[in-house]
Amino acid sequence: MSWDSIPGFVSVKEAFGETTVTVEPARIRDACLHARDELGFQMLVDIVATDYLNWGGRGVSGYIATASGRDLNFPSTQGLQTLPEVKARRFSVAYHLLALRQPPVRVRLKCWLDDGEPVPSVVSVWPTADWHEREQFDLMGIRFDGHPNLKRLIMDDDWEGHPLRKDYPIGGEPVRFSEAE
Amino acid sequence: MALDKPLKDHGLKSERLLWPSKASKFEDEVNDLEQKVGLTTLAKAVAWAQTNSMWPDTFGLACCAIEMMSIVSSRYDIARFGMEPFRGSPRQADLLIVSGRVSNKMAAPLRQIYDQMLEPKWVIAMGACASSGGMFNNYTILQGVDRVVPVDIYVPFCPPRPEALMEGIIRIHEAHLAGIEPAYARREVAT
Amino acid sequence: MAIAPERPRTRAWPVVHADQYEGTRIPRPVPTVRPVPERLRGSDDVLRINFGPNHPSTHGVLRLVLDLDGEQVVGLDAVIGYLHTGFEKTMEQKTWWKCVTYPERIDYVGFQNNELTFVLAVEKLLDLEVPEKATWMRTLLCELSRIHSHLIFLGTSALELGAVSMFWYCFRERELVLDLFEMVTGQRMHTRYFQVGGLAEDIPEGFYAQCRSFVEWMPKALDDYLALLDRNAIWLERTKGIGVLSADDAIALGQTGPVLRASGVDWDLRRDEPHLSYGQLDFRVPVYANGDVYDRYRVRMDEMRESTRIVDQCLRRLERLKGHPWIADDRKVVLPPREELHTSMESLIHHFKIVTEGFRVPEGEVYVATESPRGEQGCYLVSEGGPKPWRVHFRAPSFVALEATATCVHETLVADLIAIVGSLDAVMGDTDR
Repeated sequence: MSWDSIPGFVSVKEAFGETTVTVEPARIRDACLHARDELGFQMLVDIVATDYLNWGGRGVSGYIATASGRDLNFPSTQGLQTLPEVKARRFSVAYHLLALRQPPVRVRLKCWLDDGEPVPSVVSVWPTADWHEREQFDLMGIRFDGHPNLKRLIMDDDWEGHPLRKDYPIGGEPVRFSEAE
Repeated sequence: MALDKPLKDHGLKSERLLWPSKASKFEDEVNDLEQKVGLTTLAKAVAWAQTNSMWPDTFGLACCAIEMMSIVSSRYDIARFGMEPFRGSPRQADLLIVSGRVSNKMAAPLRQIYDQMLEPKWVIAMGACASSGGMFNNYTILQGVDRVVPVDIYVPFCPPRPEALMEGIIRIHEAHLAGIEPAYARREVAT
Repeated sequence: MAIAPERPRTRAWPVVHADQYEGTRIPRPVPTVRPVPERLRGSDDVLRINFGPNHPSTHGVLRLVLDLDGEQVVGLDAVIGYLHTGFEKTMEQKTWWKCVTYPERIDYVGFQNNELTFVLAVEKLLDLEVPEKATWMRTLLCELSRIHSHLIFLGTSALELGAVSMFWYCFRERELVLDLFEMVTGQRMHTRYFQVGGLAEDIPEGFYAQCRSFVEWMPKALDDYLALLDRNAIWLERTKGIGVLSADDAIALGQTGPVLRASGVDWDLRRDEPHLSYGQLDFRVPVYANGDVYDRYRVRMDEMRESTRIVDQCLRRLERLKGHPWIADDRKVVLPPREELHTSMESLIHHFKIVTEGFRVPEGEVYVATESPRGEQGCYLVSEGGPKPWRVHFRAPSFVALEATATCVHETLVADLIAIVGSLDAVMGDTDR
C-alpha cells in the first residue's frame, strides 16, 4: 500500500499491528478522497479527537506490566521505561478507515492541531462523518470547516465548554459518608 | 380513628412480613404512622383499589429499563398486581419508575413528565444511578433523581433484580394501604 | 458540493446485492436531516412534532423532531444526547482494572460484547496472551449476549408493531440466557466477568449441562417465532418494502452489522477479521437483498440460529478444557490467587501494587473492533504508559445506525417510522455514551 501517495502525507508508523499515517490537517479532505477513491477505503469507521494537554508531564516510569517489559539481564530495565515523548501539538484527530476486502485493511489517518485550529470536514467524502464530527466538536471543541450543520449533538445546546478536554473538570460531587460526620 | 391492628395483621402478603422477629426500621415507622394516621373504611377501600391497579409510566432510560421490562415478562409477572399496562401518557399513569441514569439533558423532560402525572402519584428510583448517580459521578449525570422529583422508594443495585423492583413496588402498595401519603405530600414539595 | 458523488454501483465483493434503488437517497446538504420538500415549506399542512425523548417504544431516550404532512413524515431531525453518561471522561479517572465495569453499561443490551472490546484493546496494548479456555468461554458468552440482544430486539420491535405476544415469548427465552449468565458470573446483567487476561473465575460445573439444554431448546423456540411472524400477512405488510437502504448508501453511511448485511453486503467481522475463536468455528453469515425492515429482521433471526450453533461448538470445546487455567499468569496484570497471598511475598506485593496503584500499560494507541449485535463496536485506546487510560473512545454502532434514519425515511408514515427505528436497533446508551 503506497501511503506516501496520500496528499499531505507526513509520516507513517506501524505499531501493535496497526498503521498510522500522519497527514497535514489542511489537506485532510484531499487525503480522505484519495484514500476512498484510489486506495479503496470505502468506509469511514470513526473520527476520534484526543487532547494531549499535560501528556507525559507527571512522569510515568514505574511498575511496568508487559510480558516483554523487563529484561532480567539488564537490571536497569526492571520497572523503568522511557518517558513518553511530548507531542508537538495539543490535539490530534484520528480518522479510522476500513477497506472491505479479504483480509480487511485498516488505517488511521491522523492530523495534529493546536487549540482553535480548524480541520476541513469530510462529510462530502463519507456522509457518516456528519455526526462523528459534530460529536468531536461538541465534546472536544474542534471546528470542522465546511460541515453543513456544526452544532452540539450530545450536550445541551446552551452548554458551555467542551467536556472531554483535559482542562475541563470531571464534575460530579464529593461523596459524603455518613460515618464521617 | 387510628388503625386497630398493626400492618401485618391486615393479611398483607409481602415477603418481608414473613420474616420472623425483629421489625425493620421501616416497619417501626409504618407502625408509628398507623397510630397517628387515621383511615376511614372508604379511604381503605379506595386505597385497596388504587394499589391493585397502579399503572406505571414508560420511563425506561437505560439498563434498568431492560430489567423493568422483564418484570412484565412471564417469569416475574407483574400483571398479578394489576400493573402490566405501562401507559405511554403520563396523564394515565400513577407510578413513575425512573429506571436508569438521568443526564442533565434528560432532567427537564423527567420533571415535565412528573408534573403531567395526576395525583396520587408515586416515584420509584430504580437502580443505583437513579438513586444517587451510581457509578457515575461526573458533569453530566444527575446525582440522584430526588434532586428533581420527590422519590418514594429507592431500589438499589445495578441493575436491580426484578424481584428487588417488585419488593419496592409492594412496599409502595403497603405504604399506601397503611395510609402513608406519597412522597410529594410528605415532603411538601410542589407537584 | 455533492455528498457521496455518483459512482458506478459497486458489484464487487463484499457487495452482493446492490439493486435496492437507483442513485442515492442520502439527504442533502445535511446527511442526517431530511429537509421538508420545497412544495411544502411554509405550508400550514406541515405539523412539527416531537417524537420522544419519552415515548412508549423501548428504544430509550431518542428524540426525533418530525415534520408531518398528515400521517406522512416529510422531515426528520434526530436529537440525541439524553443519555450521555460521560463514559469516556469517567474512564480516564479510573485505573485499568476499575475501568472494566464501565463499558458494559454502554450498550446495555449486548453487554458482554462491549466488555470484550475494551478488554481486547487493553490486552493488545499489553501484548498479553490469554489462555485458550478463556478465549472459548468469551466466545460463548459473546454469542449468548448476541442471542440476548436479538431477543430483546425481536420482542420490542414486534411489540411496537402490534405483535404483542412476541414480547412474552422472547423474554421467556431471554430468562434462560440470563439464568446462564447468573450461573456463571453471579449477575443477570452487567456481569463484569471478562478481565484483562481472561475470565474472573472458573466456569461452574453445572453450566455445561444447563447450556447444553439451552442449545437444544433454542432452535425450537426460533421455529416458534418464525411460525408466529414469518407468514403473518400483517407482519409482512408492515415490514416488507419499508425503510429500504441500498448497499452503497449503507457503506457511505458507515453501517455495519445486521443493517449492512440486510442491504446486501456480505461483511461480518467475525468471519473477515476473526477475533477470539471465530476463526476456528463453523457458522454462516446471513445476507439479504432488499435492505428493508423485513430483511433486517430475518438477518437477526438467522443470526440467532447461527449463534446457537456457535454456542454448541464452544461448549463442546470447553468440555474438553475443564481444569485448564482461565486467566493469564502474568502477575503484573492479573491478581494472584488468594491462597498464594499467605505464602508468597511476591504475590503479596503484586496484589498490593495492582490494587492500589494499578498495573501500567505501555504507551501507544490501538483500535480494536469486534462484531457486536449491532455492528462494528470499536474501542480506541490511547495509553500514556500510566495506570489510567489517557483516552478511551468507543465506536458505537447504534450512533452510526441512527445516522441512517433520515435516509431510510422515504415516503413513510409515522407507523412505518416506528418500524424503521426499531429495525435499526439503536440502543441509546450506545449512541450517547
